[in-house]
Amino acid sequence: MEGNIEPELTDHYYGIAGLQLALRFPSTLNLDNVLPSFVGFREEQRNRTSAAVVTFRGEEVPAEEEWGTLRSDISLVWGDNFRFYEQEDAFVTLIKHKIKDKQWMMKSTKDFSASDIYGKADDPRMGEFVSWLLMVVFGQVGLLHRLILIHASVIAYRQKHGVAFLGKSGTGKSTHSKLWLQHIPDTELLNDDNPAVRLEEDGRVWIYGTPWSGKTPCYKNKRVELKGFVRLEQAPLNRFTWKKGMESLVAVLPSCTALRWNKDLFNAMTDTLAQLVEQVSVGYLECLPDADAAKTSHRAFFED
Amino acid sequence: MMKLRHDLVLRKVGDDYIMVDPSQGMVDLSKVHTLNETAAWLWEQLTGKEVNVEHVAALLCERYDVSPEQAAADAEALVQEFEKAGLLEA
Repeated sequence: MEGNIEPELTDHYYGIAGLQLALRFPSTLNLDNVLPSFVGFREEQRNRTSAAVVTFRGEEVPAEEEWGTLRSDISLVWGDNFRFYEQEDAFVTLIKHKIKDKQWMMKSTKDFSASDIYGKADDPRMGEFVSWLLMVVFGQVGLLHRLILIHASVIAYRQKHGVAFLGKSGTGKSTHSKLWLQHIPDTELLNDDNPAVRLEEDGRVWIYGTPWSGKTPCYKNKRVELKGFVRLEQAPLNRFTWKKGMESLVAVLPSCTALRWNKDLFNAMTDTLAQLVEQVSVGYLECLPDADAAKTSHRAFFED
Repeated sequence: MMKLRHDLVLRKVGDDYIMVDPSQGMVDLSKVHTLNETAAWLWEQLTGKEVNVEHVAALLCERYDVSPEQAAADAEALVQEFEKAGLLEA
């Protein structure tokens, strides 16, 4: 048994939406094979501090008694894959599995700047699980850097402007992006599920591709200036309406991720969001899955 | 003694005064409360202080040209409204 020997770890650095994420994983592991969607985000350490450090502990998941108080287990963005627990000085994220041996667990400081992942390196789903856990880390740590990971499909228009489509699962976010690709010239898919929106010091708002993109393998390490958000709803017609003030915030809020029971993170998110919706346009589109729907939202942002 | 909930932050978005309430349940479902200008002003005045009808009525009288009876009635309605919306805590 080598149970007491600490495996040698290698540091890997990734730049996502301008934030550095450091992963400390066993040197024997080929991380590019484990996390293929992250390859395009690799960067040199440079002389800056990582916003979050995530260390892989190839150890048993600690016993249930050590997880803490159960907070919530359902998220619109993450589905029901996770359970969150809170301890006095830590958050625990659990990926459920009916076989105890196959559970994955992550313990994070309350600001998510440091996390330890517990799981088995020979689990065939390791890459998927680690990617999910990193999304939890990034989504929370980003909030303290005026960055929000949102649930959206986003297109880049003329390599310059981003428009993010929001909506409940099954509303047709990806479909609407596809319709833009087919019918609006000079359109590119930036991300199909989890782009990051960041409010810069100068008040400009950028939307970034990330290593998370749902079922569509679209992991682009690039950004465009965000023109606005459109909340989609299926309807028997195409009709676009602008939203202002409170209504614009309400349109975007359900697509943002924050562990609500942490007051600091939640307030950081709401602060950023309140400023975001003043900087960019927010619309509501009742739509059909047809070419005219894409033309309607295109017209609203770029012609009227 | 009732106070305003300390975890709610009043924000102005466009022309609206709002508070996002991280209510329990779903991780990313929240309630949004909207306040009119008077309620928003009162919220600021009442932060950290005791919320009762007398206090609110006194504030209304200071700021608006209303009779004490009218202020008391408005204050009563407002405190009830805050309570009903779950904006107060002990």
